Amino acid sequence: MNKKIAMVLIVLFGAGLNSFAQTNFAPGAPTAGIVAATKKFLATLDDAQRGKVVFDFKDEAQRKRWSNLPTAIFKRQGLRMGDLTKPQREAVLAVLAAALSPQGYEKILQIVEADEVLKQSGGQTIFGRDEYYVSFLGVPSITEPWMIQFGGHHLGLNITLAGEQRSLAPSHTGAQPAIYELEGKTVRPLGRETDKAFALLSSLNEAQRKQAILDFQMRDLVLGPGRDGQTIQPEGIKGSALTEKQREMLLDLAGEWTGILHEAVAKAKLDEMRKNIAETWFAWSGPTEKGSAAYFRIQGPTVIIEYAPQRLGGDATKHIHTIYRDPTNDYGVKWWKR
Amino acid sequence: MVEAVTRALCRLPLLLALLALPSAVFAHRDDQYLQATLVAIEPSGVRLQINLTPGVAVAEQVIAKIDRNRNGAISKNEAVAYAELLKRDLTLRMDGRILELKLTASEFVPPAELRTGSGTIQMEFSAISSPLGAGPHKLTLENRHLSVMSVYLINAAQPRFATIQITRQKRNQNQSAGEIEFTFQLLRPKIAESGARS
Repeated sequence: MNKKIAMVLIVLFGAGLNSFAQTNFAPGAPTAGIVAATKKFLATLDDAQRGKVVFDFKDEAQRKRWSNLPTAIFKRQGLRMGDLTKPQREAVLAVLAAALSPQGYEKILQIVEADEVLKQSGGQTIFGRDEYYVSFLGVPSITEPWMIQFGGHHLGLNITLAGEQRSLAPSHTGAQPAIYELEGKTVRPLGRETDKAFALLSSLNEAQRKQAILDFQMRDLVLGPGRDGQTIQPEGIKGSALTEKQREMLLDLAGEWTGILHEAVAKAKLDEMRKNIAETWFAWSGPTEKGSAAYFRIQGPTVIIEYAPQRLGGDATKHIHTIYRDPTNDYGVKWWKR
Repeated sequence: MVEAVTRALCRLPLLLALLALPSAVFAHRDDQYLQATLVAIEPSGVRLQINLTPGVAVAEQVIAKIDRNRNGAISKNEAVAYAELLKRDLTLRMDGRILELKLTASEFVPPAELRTGSGTIQMEFSAISSPLGAGPHKLTLENRHLSVMSVYLINAAQPRFATIQITRQKRNQNQSAGEIEFTFQLLRPKIAESGARS
């Protein structure tokens, strides 16, 4: 996305240009930077607000309190962006900017802005950029495990930090509308995911397609919100049956999720996926014409990604749900759970 | 009773707001009953983990089948009765022979939560199979429960036992019926290959 649109999104979400400068010139940060940004945000709060936004690290109910649904239907806890002052909202965005890659940060802003577009088009107050919540589990630390949560409609970011290790799993991204106009430009929050998936499918030969394409409808995410701890049998075409170029395309596609986090940890995650690429599967369900509403799944030993257009209430290409999980390390459990 | 009515009234503005939304704008699964089943095959039997999520527009029809006395709460007897209703609509076969299902766990959220479209009923059924012989087997599941309003997902869980390897999954177009082919080996195989699909 170009810089102008990024700046517009940030300003609309309540931050000043300083936040954008931070993402431009210091993209992401080591854990110390994320801790500093979080402490800076917490310092802007009064005691009552701090009591609402910080949870015990062992609070399993809060850890799992995320959803694709709007906040009026699925109640979040923490602090609502619409209840914060402008400097406080800026401070929240600075935390996200520190934890995420520039493209990950832009994606999150675009998802939030899509919900604002939905609000404006339908006149419903249950949508919009005010309806996103921030919360933390544990104490921000460069050594001890803690967690950042940010979410609302079509967004559930769960970032677990343990020293310099960080996990984004499980996290939900989605968009409705999945394409909209802003300042005369077309914005597609999940556009790269869509385009790269169709490019990979197009690269498959007939025999590979027979393996990859499932002959039944996938009507929703299988391992979406609320499905913690479940694992399914992989289906589709196995990485070992792909060419080297196709494997790179598969990794590049997965990078749209792993790359939401800061580059250093995203690269480590992708390297882990690369090691397991022969055991990583790609499955497709639905039409194969470019740009149509189709489901796909990437599943390997340390990753599960699903992309599911929602077929109800209009054009399914304009309403997307996705999920990103790590069956071995959701919520970073391998770093802290005994 | 008073408490139940109060709870229902508290939810009324939200429910009305949701029902007032044009479906093209609020395009979540509002007019369908999502029935997602995870099938776990084990050496001694099969477990079905079923998540049932009614959309806003069909929630009342589903609740009517559960909360029989309409008091706004789901009693233990009502939960058991609904589980029995669901069980009658499920047919599980191992190598062609019907397996008897037994309810082993359930969690019902209150009707008020079901009405929001975010509430999920969770049920687990288990079936004991006769001892599996070494070699290929076929498990089939058919779900006929409230078919007019439902969409289905059927997926095999990744086996927890290396002696079981899923070799193929097939479903009908709407996933109300599924077939899982698997092999059972008495000894742990040297290579624990993941499942495949031809």
